[in-house]
Amino acid sequence: MSRPFPYTYISCPCADTPVPDPARKRRSREFPQKANPDAPGTDEKGTITEDEEEEQTFDPRSPRSNFSLYPPEQLLYCEDCHQIKCPRCITEEIVCWYCPNCLFETPSSMVRSEGNRCARNCFNCPICTAPLSVSTLENVTGNGSQQGPWVLSCGYCMWTTLDIGIKFDKPTNIRTQLSKMADSTSRGRQMSRSLGDLKSPLSNYASVDEQFSATEDGGPDQPTEPLGADARFAALKGFYRNQIAETSTSPNDPLGTDFAGGFASPGALNRIMSLYNSSSRLSSLYNKKPKSKPPVMREALTASEGLKIPVPGAEDAVVRRMASDECGWDGVASIEQRSFQPPDARFADDLLPLPVLLRTKRSKRCKSCKHILVKPEFKPQSTRFRIRLIALSYIPLATLRPLTISPPQPGYPTTAPTVPNLDSLPPLKPVQLLLTLKNHMFDPVRVTLATPSVTPGRVDTKVTILCPQLDVGANSDVWDEALQGTAPGEQRSSRSGAMGIGYEKVAEAGKVWDKGRNWTTVAIEVVPGTLPGSGRRASRANNDFNDSDNDDDDDSVDEKDLDWSGQSKDPNEKLQPDEDVLEIPIFVRMEWDSENQIEQPVSKSSDTVKRELAYWMVLGVGRISPDLEG
Amino acid sequence: MASASSISVGDSKRFSASNFPSNLRHSQTARPSSPQTPQHQLRSNNSSFASTSSGSSFRSEEDAIIFELGSRWLRAGFEGESTPMCTVGFGPEESRRTGDYRGWLNYGPSTECSVSPEEWANSYELWGMDLRKVDLGLVEDKIERVVRETYNKYLLTDAGTTRLVLVMPSLMPHPLLASVLSTLFNRWRFPSITLLPAAVMSATAAGVRSATVVDLGWAETTVTGVYEYRETAHKRSTRAMKHLLQETGRFLTQLTSSTRDPTTDELSVSFEYCEEVVTRFAWCKTHQETEPTDLPNTAISIPSPSNPGSEYIDVPFLKLAEPVEKALFAHGIPESDLDDEEKPLPLLLYNTLLALPPDARGICMSRIIFVGGGSHIPGIRQRILNEVNRLIKTHGWTQVRGKAVERQRTRLQELSLTPTPNPSTNTNPPSTAPSTGTTTPTQEPTATASHTPSIDDEGDNEIDFVEQKLQRNRDRDFKPPVQGILREVESLGPWAGASLVTSLKIRGMVEIEREKYLQHGLAGASRDLEHGYVPDRRSGLRTGGDRSSWTLAGWG
Repeated sequence: MSRPFPYTYISCPCADTPVPDPARKRRSREFPQKANPDAPGTDEKGTITEDEEEEQTFDPRSPRSNFSLYPPEQLLYCEDCHQIKCPRCITEEIVCWYCPNCLFETPSSMVRSEGNRCARNCFNCPICTAPLSVSTLENVTGNGSQQGPWVLSCGYCMWTTLDIGIKFDKPTNIRTQLSKMADSTSRGRQMSRSLGDLKSPLSNYASVDEQFSATEDGGPDQPTEPLGADARFAALKGFYRNQIAETSTSPNDPLGTDFAGGFASPGALNRIMSLYNSSSRLSSLYNKKPKSKPPVMREALTASEGLKIPVPGAEDAVVRRMASDECGWDGVASIEQRSFQPPDARFADDLLPLPVLLRTKRSKRCKSCKHILVKPEFKPQSTRFRIRLIALSYIPLATLRPLTISPPQPGYPTTAPTVPNLDSLPPLKPVQLLLTLKNHMFDPVRVTLATPSVTPGRVDTKVTILCPQLDVGANSDVWDEALQGTAPGEQRSSRSGAMGIGYEKVAEAGKVWDKGRNWTTVAIEVVPGTLPGSGRRASRANNDFNDSDNDDDDDSVDEKDLDWSGQSKDPNEKLQPDEDVLEIPIFVRMEWDSENQIEQPVSKSSDTVKRELAYWMVLGVGRISPDLEG
Repeated sequence: MASASSISVGDSKRFSASNFPSNLRHSQTARPSSPQTPQHQLRSNNSSFASTSSGSSFRSEEDAIIFELGSRWLRAGFEGESTPMCTVGFGPEESRRTGDYRGWLNYGPSTECSVSPEEWANSYELWGMDLRKVDLGLVEDKIERVVRETYNKYLLTDAGTTRLVLVMPSLMPHPLLASVLSTLFNRWRFPSITLLPAAVMSATAAGVRSATVVDLGWAETTVTGVYEYRETAHKRSTRAMKHLLQETGRFLTQLTSSTRDPTTDELSVSFEYCEEVVTRFAWCKTHQETEPTDLPNTAISIPSPSNPGSEYIDVPFLKLAEPVEKALFAHGIPESDLDDEEKPLPLLLYNTLLALPPDARGICMSRIIFVGGGSHIPGIRQRILNEVNRLIKTHGWTQVRGKAVERQRTRLQELSLTPTPNPSTNTNPPSTAPSTGTTTPTQEPTATASHTPSIDDEGDNEIDFVEQKLQRNRDRDFKPPVQGILREVESLGPWAGASLVTSLKIRGMVEIEREKYLQHGLAGASRDLEHGYVPDRRSGLRTGGDRSSWTLAGWG
């Protein structure tokens, strides 16, 4: 179950074409007699009918299908390829970057330097991810002046930056203020914690210099001042830069180093300039010391070069703090809270407010033909699109609803038609469903539906589409229908179908249930199977119920000694998660004659082109109840 | 004398018989290149006016994207940054259907069904190393989705336009590697993908050239000896975070139901909850024998395993160290009962150091780097180092154990106590590499002596004129490298190392270009391992274009 029942999912046809592995191709070329089992049974455009037997039916339960199934409204359609396009078969280009909180657009040149996060005052709470607001401390205490120090506070979990000892001087530009003090404060806090002298968290961290002096005072017994991750990275980078410069400026191999990078450095340029200055010098250089080894890069030796030797007792302090009473479960940061924090953040106090991640508006193109599929408006505030080719305007919208029948049994109240409870379908009781296909194109469509008679998986649900071939009318003007003057009987039937008073009507095989201007409804009969854990009675009942098609599965189920308490030890008998969800894979193939929009000089004779589209659709019907009484 | 020779024989045999492929050594060289004038951090001005192809010639100026791909997490970010932009997992929430929002609806206790520990953890990993059970198609699907979402959510650049750098474990099954590369190349238009080995990158991010990298990863703990940026020894053990999580799951399952049959090995607590407990409160005693006296017998109140949403239970804090002891240190199991693939971590580290040649060992043992998820468990690094120290003290650097050896050793020691006229007979045990031991002739013997008192001696005071000359020729300000003592060095992690290396414009050995890969796949890689080793005399100004063939180096 992924959405409320009933639901529809569409499998993008791109899932049938596996990622071509060039090595595999080569292998099969080397051994041409061996058939490639991974080869897709069909090409993308159809011709399914020929090798339908070989093609595997789509299994909505396979773990891979989770990656190819999409709700129909999320799919796009490429008008050039005439194919459904899912997020996997499109390419995206970013149109603009904006903050979802303040809706300000960030220019593309600034995005990276701001770390893909909002540079203004938009912050998320590090504890609960709710947006933080800037408020003044004076207001909190009741003093009316707006000049006080400022804090970020969470309206949801009441966390404020005071908890980690951060106050701001100005209510604006919080991000720069924070980043200025973040490194030093965290360093200072760790230091003071490890030393055990807990300074007041309200002590003023506003001046960075003071903080630095505090840390230096605080750590006489620590030999090196620990650098933060960023500072260490910068130190290492500088160290490697120096080393590379020192080792590569050996004068006797002017051509030795990378030239592409070489021109960028003044030293290398100097070398190149002096290359042809005096050939004698050059030769003397070569002759004098041809074997002198270039200096070897050394490793980082001091903390200022990025080397960090951990203090031996540091981890003991961490353990002791974890065990202490004031820490507790919530005192330690969770995985989720840590995920965007500096890597050494362990306790909840180490967490810093997070600037809001930017979002992007993206235009989308077909991956194969580069045809543009979606192009939004540039402005972040606008929700409109310039181009948007969504698949629902090309493929029929499938909606499923249960057929409301009043069952003839006397035990049920006959006054109201019973709607089957889709969240607990009784096994082995046939349910009739109505599948409506609504056409949004301006051409009539012929649709062929196909489904395996028994659903894949361990729960054998029998599915019969009573009318697998149907026509759906064009999405013509509503007035056309009225002007054409259709038969009154048909009108009535459509109305009655729409109103759901269908219980005098019986679904017949081979006949369309109902039909309207651009929609057609067919009936599907479903006999939900029994769940693996639901017992011997179930299998026996299954045999009694339809002994006409008592296939091998039933026998094998019957032979096994089923433990129907549901607490079976055999893992095969245990119900997998979501195994009780009844999903029907349906193969939809649609054909239509469309007007030829692209001028083709060859086929001038007819201005219509026959098109077809085929895809797998998954109908989520309901959940089968484990007990037979249902 | 006899002992020295036997040691050296054991050493060399050990080294040659160790199971790492010899080509691992050629995985990465730090090519020195000239310093660069810092380039502007130009982002492609790829506004909507520009078409897809425009500006592609300037793309090489752009920052490369770095992915660190493991079996559980993907870290992604830009080169030159110290931390990855995001860390994304491969859990079941991430592999739901689009439009399936159940993860947001009932984020609470999952269904009360107990599963086997393997199954319990399986759905959270991208791949298992046992490829018989791995659906490569599913792996490709997961990678495609996670990379796409990473670009869309966190990296916020156009996918596939810039160079990609993949940080990977240096031993990858080829089908997996092919899956990863095929997916990335076919789905996006990466011009090239560079592979960098994770262990060497960790060493780089620590600022050292040689190191022992202990990666406490998900499925396996790997210990890699890196010497001068080459992987020289490699050992692995299944005692890693997966094991620890399963062990914690067992512990928490027992907490929920004391009535449960203890023989069934099934877990009924949710994986997320268990991982949360491990990341928050797993800890490790720094010494095996001593109970930490300074820790009061406190109880930690953690959410109840049966109902993590609302109830709390009290667990003794000392209990939370037990899964670590059991899973990573094989507490309570005699060493003889352990299989080769499940050695406890201190033994694994010791064995790897033992497999190194003695001079490399001296360098590597004082540069031990802990990376991976398990390295965040407080106390575990100190504990491993303590135990390795103990192992060295008891056994020295020898593979040979047993009573006969002990007897012989004591006899030798008695011999060596008597003044010998010829000190050359009992010089350092690493007589296999006599030339390399000369870098620090004064320091190494003392250092080794402090740890291997039984096999070493105190003579070495004689003056060697070669050494004197070497000493004289050495730079005045040359500091001898620290070696021979156990020392831990902290690293920023493989991702940061790759970011560092890439931002310094150092080219990796394995640079796979798009067109070449799409033609032949992994089979197109050159088997010639010395290939690419001669880049010093490259002519022409372009660096990239002149590689006619490519190699998989260590991955080959």
